[in-house]
Amino acid sequence: MGAVIASIANLKGGVGKSTTTVMLADGLAYFYGMNVCTIDLDAQANSSQMLLTEIGVQAAYEQGKGASHLLKQFMNREPANAAPLIMPNAVTLEELRLSEQQDQRQGWVSILPSHPHMRLQELDLEEEWYSKAGTPTQLASALQAHFSEAFDHLRPLYDIILIDCPPHLSPLARAGLALTDIYITPTIADAVCTWGTKQFSDWIGANIAADLPDRNFVVITRFRNTRYARQVASELKELYLNDRVFGPNIPESVHVLNAMDRAAPDSYNTFRGKYGGVKGDVRRLAERFYEFLAKQTGQKWQKIRD
Amino acid sequence: MAEDSRLDPAAYLDRLFDVIREEARQNPKFADRLVKAMGGQVVFEDEAKSAVANPYLLAGNSTKAHFYSVFAPMKTNELKKILRDHNLATPLDLRGKSASQLLDMLYERARLKITERKSSYF
Repeated sequence: MGAVIASIANLKGGVGKSTTTVMLADGLAYFYGMNVCTIDLDAQANSSQMLLTEIGVQAAYEQGKGASHLLKQFMNREPANAAPLIMPNAVTLEELRLSEQQDQRQGWVSILPSHPHMRLQELDLEEEWYSKAGTPTQLASALQAHFSEAFDHLRPLYDIILIDCPPHLSPLARAGLALTDIYITPTIADAVCTWGTKQFSDWIGANIAADLPDRNFVVITRFRNTRYARQVASELKELYLNDRVFGPNIPESVHVLNAMDRAAPDSYNTFRGKYGGVKGDVRRLAERFYEFLAKQTGQKWQKIRD
Repeated sequence: MAEDSRLDPAAYLDRLFDVIREEARQNPKFADRLVKAMGGQVVFEDEAKSAVANPYLLAGNSTKAHFYSVFAPMKTNELKKILRDHNLATPLDLRGKSASQLLDMLYERARLKITERKSSYF
């Protein structure tokens, strides 16, 4: 059976989309031995940086790997295939590396990285497309068709594909969102993010997935245990998004920031070492999402680590 | 010789639950969070009610009559505190208002916020 596509998306920026992407990739690979492919469609390239480091992102780009080369494929009308553009090793956890070294691969993370240059490519593409009287929606549809075919080459290779989506509705972002089976929505427990999440929910519902509540997994990130944050979190769960499944609250913590700052492209850390004080939160995130995923897909994976 | 501090699992859990039980008795907000986390419905009485009653949840999930039945018995100061604590009014907004005016303000502003923040599609 092919990989499920889950998008980590919200129209509000700064809600922890890339952090959630990396935590889920690590958590699903580490605890359930899943083969995870992350696809970074955000030109900010944050999840790419978190997994590969800045040098790694640049090296991938220069080696002809990544989402910007997928865009180039589309612009040059080349056959759609994302498989040769993947960086196969985006593993940062020592346990995964060791099991691979011993020919006992149990969980893996690969990436189709982004690169800041993709911003300019998108501009060039849009300029060319619109100069021929094409519309943004037509461009989004054409990109969706290209990506769909390109990702079909990845589906047999992985258990899950996690798309880190940009916080806007460019044709590129819309193409990614349209190919999604499961929507993961990180949000922060405050007024502006609550409103931003509502905008996202309304747009997706009206334009892409009328059944969004059934396919939506919400994660409250950067949670600070204050009266105000608890109050807003409670309102999100019981009132505004009471028809969704929620993951655990991920705390605002220096451990999270440290975990997302890889020392070097050849640097590895144990799960405990990487996540420190938030390792329990990452485990709970993986467990809750796994339950949601298993219910959605009917597929089951064995838990291989505690 | 030092006392053996090891506990059997049941004694360990007893100690843990004793602390949780005691905290829940003394702290209605904690009790409310605890019960919500377990998916339960618990009725809070008297002064505990003002500590845990959330105008957004009540305005969104119950009738106007129920909303008023919860908040109407509260004193002016309690209503002012709830309005402030839930970012529904500034001290300036509250100045010179009667309990009845505060009650109406609480309901109308909570409803307005819900309309702004709840999905219009779902």
